[in-house]
Amino acid sequence: MNGIRSSYLRFRKTPAFTGFILFLISIVLNTVIQGFASGNALAFFNPNALSTLITSNAPFILVTMAQSLLLISGTLDMSIGIQIALVNVVCIMIPQELGAPVEVGWLCAILAAVAASLLSGFGCAVLRLPPLLVGYAMTFIIKGVNVLVMDIPQGKVPKAYWKPYQSPLFGFLPVALLIILLVFCAWLYLKRTKFGRYIYAVGGNPRNAFAAGINPVKVQIQAFVLKGVITGIAGICLTLMTASGNPLQAEDYGLRSLSACILGGLGFGGWGSMSCAVFGAGFFVVIQNTVYYLFTLLPKIIPGFAVTSYWQNMVSDVILLLGLFMTIVTAKAQRETLKQGLVKQFRRGEKYAK
Amino acid sequence: MQNNASTARMGFSSSLKHFVKASPARMALILAALLFLITVLINPNGLNPTAIGSIILMTTLLAISAAGQTMVLISGGIDFGVGSVMSAAAILTTYTMNGQNGHFVQVLVMALLMGAAIGAMNGICVVKIGLPPMIVTMAISNIVTRLQYVFTQGSPSGYASPLFVKSVTARIGGVIPFIVFYAMLIFPLVLFVINRTRFGKQMYMVGNNRVAARLTGVRVNRIVILTYVFSGLLSSFAGMLGAAYMNTARCQIFDDYAFTSLVAVIVGGTSFSGGIGTFGGTIAGALLMTVLSNALTTLALSQPLRNILNGVIVVLLLILYNRSKSVRQ
Repeated sequence: MNGIRSSYLRFRKTPAFTGFILFLISIVLNTVIQGFASGNALAFFNPNALSTLITSNAPFILVTMAQSLLLISGTLDMSIGIQIALVNVVCIMIPQELGAPVEVGWLCAILAAVAASLLSGFGCAVLRLPPLLVGYAMTFIIKGVNVLVMDIPQGKVPKAYWKPYQSPLFGFLPVALLIILLVFCAWLYLKRTKFGRYIYAVGGNPRNAFAAGINPVKVQIQAFVLKGVITGIAGICLTLMTASGNPLQAEDYGLRSLSACILGGLGFGGWGSMSCAVFGAGFFVVIQNTVYYLFTLLPKIIPGFAVTSYWQNMVSDVILLLGLFMTIVTAKAQRETLKQGLVKQFRRGEKYAK
Repeated sequence: MQNNASTARMGFSSSLKHFVKASPARMALILAALLFLITVLINPNGLNPTAIGSIILMTTLLAISAAGQTMVLISGGIDFGVGSVMSAAAILTTYTMNGQNGHFVQVLVMALLMGAAIGAMNGICVVKIGLPPMIVTMAISNIVTRLQYVFTQGSPSGYASPLFVKSVTARIGGVIPFIVFYAMLIFPLVLFVINRTRFGKQMYMVGNNRVAARLTGVRVNRIVILTYVFSGLLSSFAGMLGAAYMNTARCQIFDDYAFTSLVAVIVGGTSFSGGIGTFGGTIAGALLMTVLSNALTTLALSQPLRNILNGVIVVLLLILYNRSKSVRQ
């Protein structure tokens, strides 16, 4: 009993606590509303529905994890969303146009994501430009490249590849969950290495890190490369899920992942861990799911109430804004650091250099 | 004489930087003239009264939409909602006018109210949430875009009234479009607000140093919210004029203006970090952007290549204006 209590107290002090509570709240909300909508109180915990939910949202969760890596090291990348579309485009086009095996396409796709990440990393770390605006510029550039490579949505993935991804192992374990766990375990290992400590040091204060003999530019570039690899994996998940290519999708994942990270309790620089990102992303996913069921529930209760898909899109955007609002409540402890860190992302004039 | 010598001693890149920083508006005008010259040399057909008239028209439209952005940037924020507000105002205009004269005042009041409401929402969220304005305004502009689809079911209806269209696009002597009369109304107003009012001075103070401004008794939050309201008002008015120019509207019709207005303002010498900038510079920047767009059309550059070019332009601007110090210094 005492052991549980002390471990709870220890968990309360970790950055992931607020995100975890939010995640729990969203699950309770979802269970209730989905229960009413489908007439089965435990509909949310149905293994099939749950594994579909995880499988279809795995790209977003992975992207948020990648973004959290950058946030810990004190930068961010808004173009991460369109980078997933880049991975998707390369995954489809290399086998289709060059006749190469699908695996080669995947490898090239991951390389493309790493290259794009390196480019934005170069802008942020080496040229010392504000990361938010670099991400904005990179979005334009990658969008252009995507459309140059694939002008209209097209292509397909062989069934032998997407079928195993979309059907759960042993009837309950989604493959996507395994991938997420794998990435998370890699992070747990990485956190304990020298590089893991360096990321936190550079995120906390690049100047002190430099004085302690760490090269901040190198560490940030390494973080960008890792982020590129995870983005590549996320893009492959997306390709397997949709089994087709679209050059202009997922652009809003950049803003969404950032908002999920902040909700999960990540502050800028040296605070938080990847579990914050997982909880934040989980909160977003579950709330989206709740809204979907709310919209199927409402016409049943209120006769004559009809909604279009436009409404759903709008509500999900309103949730994004509300998520930003929530930071007033959630990040109370780290609010000042968060604010300062975020301002650094945006203004890098000489006045603001520390 | 001495000045010249010291300029010569500086490296090429730093002397270029010095020249650009000395007067960005002059630089923008020179670049615009050069670009136009090159365009005309490539395609001599570009030099006709219609083309020049449409350059004037587009420049005016862009300058009006960028006027609010200038104020927001001077006070140290950034507004990505310009494009979505313009689109929403254009849809509102064509829907309400529905091709008939006599609704102008009604449309004007409705559009301005909408713009002010969205601007106030932007401002209050920026101040209260305390997150970077870029993230907040992007989130809100996404919602405004979604609202356009919700209200119109994806396909807006109606036309701008013929009289209104004429008041924007008719040409004096076949060259100068009537929109300059709107500009003659708006530009002095904006210049007056920025340069001659207490609000304008306080705006610069807030952008320069927020803490110092608060300590001298400036009500910082109010100033910041007001700049966003002005941005909403001016961009909704620009959206109305744009509706008259295009005659019909569709969802996201003016979304490009979020990008173009920002770049025009920055090319015109307003700094990202706040406290510096003029509206005159913004007009010069708008001219440069319009001439650039005209040149790209003449070269028949495809949309993806244009996107890439836009991204490269932003990166170049950032390198020129907004680098932070190295950790070693």
